[in-house]
Amino acid sequence: MKNRGYIGILFFILIGITPFALSFGYALLYSFGVIGVANSGFTLEFWKAVFESGEFVKSLFYSIAIALVSTVISVSLALWFTLAFEKKLRGRILSFVIYLPLAIPGIVASFFTVQVLSKAGFFSRLFNKIGITSGISDFPDLINDPYAIGITLVFISVVMPFFLLLFLNVYQNERVAELAELSRSLGASERQTIWRVSLPVLIKKTWTLIALYFIFLLGAYEIPLILGEESPQMLSVLIVRELKQFDLSKISEGYVVAVIYTVIVSIATILLFSNRKSQDIHE
Amino acid sequence: MSKLKSIALWAYVVAIMFPFFFLLLLSLSSDWRYPALLPEYFGLKNWVQVVGTESGLAYSFFISLVISLSVAVTATLSGFFISRYVSYHKKKGLLTMLTYFPYILAPVVFGACLSYYFLRIGIFGTTAGVIIAQFIIAFPYALIFFSSFWNEKIKNYENLVSTLGGNRWTTFTKVLLPMAKGLMMVCFFQTFLISWFEYGLTSIIGVGKVQTLTIKVFLFIKEANFYYGAMSCCLLIIPPVVLIYINKRFVFNKLI
Repeated sequence: MKNRGYIGILFFILIGITPFALSFGYALLYSFGVIGVANSGFTLEFWKAVFESGEFVKSLFYSIAIALVSTVISVSLALWFTLAFEKKLRGRILSFVIYLPLAIPGIVASFFTVQVLSKAGFFSRLFNKIGITSGISDFPDLINDPYAIGITLVFISVVMPFFLLLFLNVYQNERVAELAELSRSLGASERQTIWRVSLPVLIKKTWTLIALYFIFLLGAYEIPLILGEESPQMLSVLIVRELKQFDLSKISEGYVVAVIYTVIVSIATILLFSNRKSQDIHE
Repeated sequence: MSKLKSIALWAYVVAIMFPFFFLLLLSLSSDWRYPALLPEYFGLKNWVQVVGTESGLAYSFFISLVISLSVAVTATLSGFFISRYVSYHKKKGLLTMLTYFPYILAPVVFGACLSYYFLRIGIFGTTAGVIIAQFIIAFPYALIFFSSFWNEKIKNYENLVSTLGGNRWTTFTKVLLPMAKGLMMVCFFQTFLISWFEYGLTSIIGVGKVQTLTIKVFLFIKEANFYYGAMSCCLLIIPPVVLIYINKRFVFNKLI
């Protein structure tokens, strides 16, 4: 029995941990010039180049800003819909319809956004038809734009439906309706009930997932690849671009960014986990 | 205020339904140029060609299905069995945290760093390579998914079967698998969808040679062939919509 346990853990290490460790080790060695076709030995040159160019820092803050704005708007909208339409959303048809956005992957959402929000897209045509714009150039840049409007809109459209379903689930499991009723009967106003009872319960139960979704958005690839600008680029797009460079010295710089990104995400995971553990203990 | 609320709710419903209608309309269209609000041609021309070889969409659908089914079956089964050992291990917390690292990392970055090993093994740019790469990201999901199944209650059942003379095989086939059947179905479809929706990792490991539906969508965007792009999107959307219709739990799971 004990041997079987060891075999199970061995498989876990082999499939679950080894690929991650191997890929991180390879990226780390490449970033320091220890391995790689054009590299000749240990150097800090690529790390220096990455920080001096400023592109990575710009990309990091750009990614954080987009992920943060998208997460905040998605969570806020989902909370509002949950509290405003909790009963209606459990109706026969609506309870099916609100699941449908989960059937749309990021690449399809991006394709659809190009079709409706580009300068020759559906809304541009509609506005032209009803006389709001007089041509293709009058329609604003909503995709591949400097403010990442297209990326943010798609992130919201992908993430918000998930949070809505999540909050509806928690609303029912944690019996928020009964708690709200109790607080009202004890004399709390509608505003107090929402801010002091319903919202704290919903957020406390889901904040780990909210944080995880922020991290997922930080590393999103296909959506910013299709809807983003040439510069700045979101982290994953920047990493893949650098790794596919014809200039071999740039590949090492790509691995530097990959290593930093992996470290940031790993630290975030450890922090989330340790916080969750202490929360579990307190509960 | 309540009228505004109603408008907001209906606007949300319209926003949900609009992409489905629009993509279907686009897939049935051709010669839809600016500033026309409606297409000049509307019919089944594009879809008839799916059956033929011109677009390669039928093959992409088939290869996507093969990859996703392989990933889902292997990830679900290995996740179920291995999660037992992880969950009963005295260092469960640490092992579970380690599982999260590959799960939370952007698959495309993971794939880019792993591609060297795939090249050395000789599975770079092959369907087997894509299946293995996607399995590596689906497996941690399955592992985390089943971790809640292995609890004190299940352990007591296992001990009871053992006390009554049952061996390991009996415990798994007569007790554990029937108890976990529902969860295994959910995990199977969730890992199927992880693979079905995957783009970044597939593009890196498949290097354009393994043309799944997501890769096709991107190729059609680059070629500005929006009608075939819309068809690919419809093919991508159909399986998850069917799954939602059968059981919503297959698609939505508040994991973690």
